[in-house]
This record gives sequence, structure tokens and C-alpha cells, in this order.
Amino acid sequence: MTGPVATSTTGATTAAPAGHLAAQARALVAIGRQSVRSALAVRSEVLVSGVAVLVRVVLVILVWRAVYGSTPEVVGVDRSTAVAYAVLGAVFTNVLNPFWRSSLEVRVRQGRIAVDLLRPVGLVPQTLAQQVGTTAAAVPRCVLAVLLALVIGALQAPAGGVLGLLAFAVSTVLGVAVALLCNLVVAMTAFWTLEVGGALMVYRAVAQFASGALIPLWFMPGWLRGTLEWLPFQAQVFTPLSVYFGTVRGWDAVGAVAVQALWVVLLALLAQLVWSRALHRVVVQGG
Amino acid sequence: MIRAEGLVKEFTRPVRRTGPLAGVRSLLTRERVTTRAVDGVSFTVDRGELVGYLGPNGAGKSTTIKMLTGVLVPTAGTVEVDGRVPWRDRTRNARGIGVVFGQRTQLWHDLPLRDSFELVAKLYGLDQPDYQRALGRFTELLDLHEFLDTPVRGLSLGQRMRGDLTAAMLYGPPLLYLDEPTVGLDVVAKARIREFVAETNAVDGTTVVLTTHDLVDVERLCRRVLLIDHGQVLYDGDLAALRRRYVPYRDLVVTLAREDDGPLVAPPGTTVVERPRSARDTARVVVFRFDPAQTPTPAVVAAVTAEHEVVDLDVTDPDLEAVIAEIYSSGRVRA
Repeated sequence: MTGPVATSTTGATTAAPAGHLAAQARALVAIGRQSVRSALAVRSEVLVSGVAVLVRVVLVILVWRAVYGSTPEVVGVDRSTAVAYAVLGAVFTNVLNPFWRSSLEVRVRQGRIAVDLLRPVGLVPQTLAQQVGTTAAAVPRCVLAVLLALVIGALQAPAGGVLGLLAFAVSTVLGVAVALLCNLVVAMTAFWTLEVGGALMVYRAVAQFASGALIPLWFMPGWLRGTLEWLPFQAQVFTPLSVYFGTVRGWDAVGAVAVQALWVVLLALLAQLVWSRALHRVVVQGG
Repeated sequence: MIRAEGLVKEFTRPVRRTGPLAGVRSLLTRERVTTRAVDGVSFTVDRGELVGYLGPNGAGKSTTIKMLTGVLVPTAGTVEVDGRVPWRDRTRNARGIGVVFGQRTQLWHDLPLRDSFELVAKLYGLDQPDYQRALGRFTELLDLHEFLDTPVRGLSLGQRMRGDLTAAMLYGPPLLYLDEPTVGLDVVAKARIREFVAETNAVDGTTVVLTTHDLVDVERLCRRVLLIDHGQVLYDGDLAALRRRYVPYRDLVVTLAREDDGPLVAPPGTTVVERPRSARDTARVVVFRFDPAQTPTPAVVAAVTAEHEVVDLDVTDPDLEAVIAEIYSSGRVRA
């Protein structure tokens, strides 16, 4: 048995890493697409979550209009911007469903992690592909909600025309990436504690607030904003929305997007590091 | 194909407190308990073998399988599958093995069965013609036609298991791990799965490691068994030899034509075993017990039928279940 073994191992390490990478990429795309289909498979669920985001958008519009009343401006933020921000905040909260649900957490708890670990794809990329798929499945209902807000005049087109829209799109993709990675890192503590519900609950509460999804960071006291600058949360929601409303523009916008990209790289490395430590701690629950 | 040496797996968890404020104290405690699920297991499996891996609940079977498949990292000891260390080379090892966990599924709950197969084909880099050929073959063998396009959540347990077997075998892995593949299935479904496993082993030469609680699975499929309990190997070897060690006899059960057939004559090498007459017996039933290694079965049959007028006869082997039950309860295998 030693003969074929020797050839197969050397063959594996030298034989076309490019081909291996391409195969991995194809596998990840397949997992992502399957996750989209799975998320859209149950019609009633799709319908209910669509209605839910529309209701939420309408509610935040009503609340923020009432909060402002006849006041034209609060700390330099005018009424229409505040309402529009609340709309996009609600939509982001919805599309970033990993705020609520991480596939990894659920799969560790149900012991389904065993199946993932038997796939010829690394666990971190695999989990991310699943999450990207579920996130992508939320895009149609969010586009619908944005259109509704535009139609009823609660939202205006992004600042800075086509270029502004493009910058917003790039920043949004990076924001989603930061959110997914943060969530993955937190969920991976499940390998140590087995019960990650508490940690994720705290994380969600902090992230919703600190990312600016609930209340614009413009309204926060200076010392708090200064602290949040150093954390990855505002890169999730506040940065893309700031680009949308043109409160950061030009080179400032480029800088903000670069910070987002830096967070993506750092968090991806952190996720890999945590996983390499977690490897020895994997426990599969339930027989 | 598989070489395991001194495999150990320990699980550590914080001590659970009882009494007042148990929850808080459990959270704060630094005291930990360690349980040893697998305690120095060694064995090898050759290419093409079909090995039964048996043990009572909690014996360490599934933990061993998870170390062999690369899901768990052993606490100590070494394991090599086809020359690779499964957990260190997880993704490459994954390409060469198929795994079915009877208690969980790799299929996508909300999607048609076919979609799960297509994903498997892409994950393992199967091209379209190969995929179609394999799918066609398994559809035929496991009779999947009716439910290929049914969402997995709508499948019966037996159908789901056939789906899981297909998903595990689609890419033709040379090594197949089956962890309780017949658990909870009806008689027909079990028979179908057994037939499939036997064929896969015989025709494709797939090496199979089978854990099960169903001894019929073992009798139909395995020549060799590995028995473990409390994380240690109790027996590794031939199933027939194990049976002989416990019950070195075979019974010839004879229904006599007449109640008063005169005195019973036991042929040489046999003894007559009294069997209490049950309500089901419509005639006199006599049991001749003999050692098939000493006295060939045909000789006993010939001798008995020469002496007595017989309306029915049946040759029975002692119950494997009784053998296993004794090993489990005594915790060791007789020398």
C-alpha cells in the first residue's frame, strides 16, 4: 500500500493547484446557488418575509415622520434624510439576515456540521457560500421595498448620480461581506461553548446599534462615534448609507470604502485563524 | 485502505452543578470532566473488505467513524486512510470516501431530491455524462424514479435513506462508511439497502465499513466483525468463528409423523434436546443438537430420517443476537 500512497500524495501537492482552485470555486458557486434555491423553495415563507420587510419600511417611515413633526432639522440632519436613512436601514437589516441567523450556529447545534466537514471544500468558504446564497435570496424583496419607498416619496435617488450609485453598490457589497464575516467569527465560538445563542444575541444587539442600522450614527455623542470608528460595525451599514446620502464624498468616500476592504481582509484572516484553532475542538452533537 | 493505531478520543466539558443557582455556578466553574469515548482502538481494513463495526449504544462506534472520516481530530493515536491522515487532509480525503449517517442527512430539506444530487456532482467535479450515467444506474438499482423530483421533506425514511446512499456513492468513492443505514426502516426497505450494499461491494469492489445494531445486516453482509465496547476492541475477526466460540452446535428440528414413534434414537454425535410443547405444535417436535464441525449436517439428517418417519425438518443456527447480548452484558469476549 505504500507505493500508490507515495505517488498519490506527491501528485496531489504538485498537480495543478490552479485546477484545484478552479474546482473549489465551482463547488462554492454551486453551494451558493443551492442556498438561494433552498431559501426560495417554500412559497409561503418567501411571501411572508416579503410582506414583513414592506411593513417594516412603512412603519419606520411613519415613526420618523412623527418624530420630526414640523421640526425641519435635528443636529444638522433634515427630515427627509432622516426618513430615507431609516428606510435603507430597515432594508439593510433585512438583507443582512445573518444578524439573526447564522447557518454555522444552527448547523453546529444540530450536529449537521458533520455533513459540512465531509465535503471536499473548506468549512469557512463553504459556510460563507451558504450565507451569501441566503443573503442573495433576500435581494428581490429588498429591491421591492426600496421601490415602494421611492414611489411614496420617502426615498430619493443617491447623491452623486451614476458614480454615486456605483460607489454605493461597491460599499454595500463590502458592508455585507463585513457583516457576514463578523457573524461567522462570532458563530465559530460555538466550537468552544457549544451554545452560541447568548453570544450571538449580544453581538446582534450591539451590531444593530453600532452599525447604524437602527439609528444614524450622526445622532450619537462624539465620544461614542469616536469609539465606533475603530470597530468593524459601522463598515456594515453606516458607511454605505453615508455614501448614498453623500455625507462622505470624493476621496473621503474612496477612503471609507478602502477601510471597508481592509476590514474584509482582516476578518477573513481572523476567521481562518479561529477555524484552524477550532479544528481540534470540533464536537458533533447527537450520536 | 484503513489503518488505525491506538486511536483515542476524549471529550471534555465543564462540570454541571446541581442545587441552588446551579445554572450560574455551572457557568463559572473551572472544573472539567473528561470522558474517553474511544480508548486505544487499533485495526486495519484491506481494500475490498466489508467489515461490520458493532457495539452497544455509546460504545464509541460513531466517534471512531468520525475520526476515520476526518470530522474529528483524535486525541491520541494515528489514523491513515489510503495513505492520508483524514483530519489533516480533510478535503482530499473527502473526495475518496462516501458517508451515510443514518441519523442525519446530507440532502437539502426543501429542494427536490435531484437538486441534492446535482450539487454533489458539482462538489465532486463530476462531468455531465458521468453524472447522468451514475444517476441512471442508482435510479435503477434503488428504484428512485417515483421520488426524484419530490422535495426531500416529503420523502419517507426509506426513500430518504436511498437518496442518501445515492448521494454518497454518486462520485464512485472507493471507500464507503455506513453508520446505521437501516435504522428505523421496514423489512423491505432494509432488504433493498442490504442488497445494494452487497452489490456495491461485490461488483465495484468498494470497501465498506458498516456500523449497525441490526444483526441481520451483519449476518447477510459481513464476514468479518469488529466488536467494541467502552471504547475498546473486544473482538476482531471472523463472524462464523465468533459464533462457534459461543455456541458450537447446530439444531435439527424435526416434526414426527406419529405421536408414539417408539423410543427416540439419537444418532452418534447428537443429543436430544427437550423442547416444551407449545400451543403452536400440532405434532411432536424433537430437537437433535450436534456440532457441525464433528458431524456433517447431511449425515445427521440421513440418520434421523432413517430411524423416524418425519413430516418436516429444519436446521437452525444459534441466534447471533444471543451471542452479542452475552458479550455486551459481560463486557468481554470468551477466549
